[in-house]
Amino acid sequence: MTTFLQQVVNGLSLGSIYAVFAIGCTLIFGVLNIVNLAQGAFFMVGAYLGLEIALLGLPLPLALLVALVGGGVLGMASELLVFRVLRLRGGHKWMGLVASLALARLLVGVAQEVFGTAVHGYPPNPFTAIVWEIGGVRVQLLQVIVVITAVILMGILGFTLQKTSVGRAIRTVAFSEDVARIVGVEVGRTILITFFIAGALAGAAGVLLGLLFNVVSPFMGEHMLVKGLTVMILGGLGNIPGAVAGGFLLGLVEVFSVAYVSSAFRDAIGFGLIFLILLVKPTGLFSGFEERRA
Amino acid sequence: MMAALDGFLASYGNLVNLCLLNTLLAYGVWLALAANMFTLGTGGFMAVGAYCSVYFTMQLGAPFAVAVVAGGLLAAAVALVIGAPVLRLRGDYFMLATFAFTEVVRVIALNWDAVTGGAIGIYGIPRYTETWQLVLLVLIALYFVFALRRSYFGRSIAAIRQDDVMSEAMGVNVFGQRLSLFVASGFVSGGVGGLAAHLNFFVGPSDFGLLRSVDALAYPILGGVNALLGPMVGAIFTTLLPELLRFSSQWREILMGLLILAVVLFLPGGAMSLLRWRPRKAAARRPSTQGAE
Repeated sequence: MTTFLQQVVNGLSLGSIYAVFAIGCTLIFGVLNIVNLAQGAFFMVGAYLGLEIALLGLPLPLALLVALVGGGVLGMASELLVFRVLRLRGGHKWMGLVASLALARLLVGVAQEVFGTAVHGYPPNPFTAIVWEIGGVRVQLLQVIVVITAVILMGILGFTLQKTSVGRAIRTVAFSEDVARIVGVEVGRTILITFFIAGALAGAAGVLLGLLFNVVSPFMGEHMLVKGLTVMILGGLGNIPGAVAGGFLLGLVEVFSVAYVSSAFRDAIGFGLIFLILLVKPTGLFSGFEERRA
Repeated sequence: MMAALDGFLASYGNLVNLCLLNTLLAYGVWLALAANMFTLGTGGFMAVGAYCSVYFTMQLGAPFAVAVVAGGLLAAAVALVIGAPVLRLRGDYFMLATFAFTEVVRVIALNWDAVTGGAIGIYGIPRYTETWQLVLLVLIALYFVFALRRSYFGRSIAAIRQDDVMSEAMGVNVFGQRLSLFVASGFVSGGVGGLAAHLNFFVGPSDFGLLRSVDALAYPILGGVNALLGPMVGAIFTTLLPELLRFSSQWREILMGLLILAVVLFLPGGAMSLLRWRPRKAAARRPSTQGAE
């Protein structure tokens, strides 16, 4: 029972990061029907930006903020330099995938050049030291902070999408670009904002993961991208509540399969799950009670 | 003349082989792209073909040709099993399902130690793949694609690429055509996997991940899906480029990224769209088959 609860704690903290990252991917898909494969690179850049700020001795909330803005700016750049150009030139959807991957490659190359290929860790902070033992279950303060930060980010996003005019514009464009134009939404600007939000979430997820596992490397983005795509499928493409639930689900499944089956099959179980879902319920696990997109 | 050729092959043989191998792979992926199937399963099929053929040559002592064909056939069989349910899904779901397939194969390769050697992979694979075999196979692939594009089957594929709902209404068996193309693509990718394994002395699970699949997709897309020689041009361009950019591995990645971005942004129809020698009238009668989804 203790092992079980311990895995729940570990799974939730990992899953919250997956959720934050995957929301960005699924938001872009919901609005534009494309997959931005550069999201993983934004995640990596976010982790490095946060690391640099933390190494300067500045407080961690500032690191998170810088990573948010940095990731968001990169997201906007990818829209302005790649996706918008492709849309204007009438390029095929495939080109977007190839281009976003080329962009990711570029960023990984730049990160290697600037920061080197070695694995870095965040400087020691007081949060890792504080550990509570509740009935035999170890809970790090850091884990609690990661989960709370993730939930706050998701809360801000949910509020923005549901209650603000920017959010309404995003949801209208997701419903139909033509309808959005008819009712006077500035489609180009709204798409730009969507890319900013998605990039910002990826950057923030980078800092959170870097803190939780204390590992930052130029190649961490590719791994995360795979997780993000997995969560997207679990939750249904473009389905934000689905991505939240799917992120936590994937975190729990991975942690539990390490604890109870074998660490070797952690990934196999996740991907087996995707395959099963695509065959049985391709619109995602949670499409039954949430049909709306973005 | 022959001496010059020998000298050239001695110094650039590896590069030539790699170009030929990637050209073959590009046509394998083209088979799927031709019917608008954005497959990320290429890496998975290559892995299946590679491990199967290595098992045949090293464990069973089968001849090389038999082993490569066996690898291709096993990959084709896997493609049939995967494709039958997955091809009923919409385009984006198809892409993600093939992506999941590749990752499942990678994880299996990582853990099935008896056959795949686990994370370490298999070393010391005998080198059976020869340049002339690859040249022959590329020529066969070129002829096959040339014949395919002119056939009734090829026309129906072009129709599917333009608009699958409309072609279904016109009596094209969209599902059947796509499934057969997907199986053919699996066969070619599996065969290339076997050839690659017997060229590099080594196979390991990290050779066949998501990046492998996307690289393979980039060949025909960068070269141009509509031109016969497009996949070949794309494959050779993408293979030679990193060799030409030998400054440092970081700068190579940066320049590769920039160059691919430039091609995608300035030539959205692929590099072959530069050479539009077709007269205007004929071009108007047969409009570009690169439709929206």
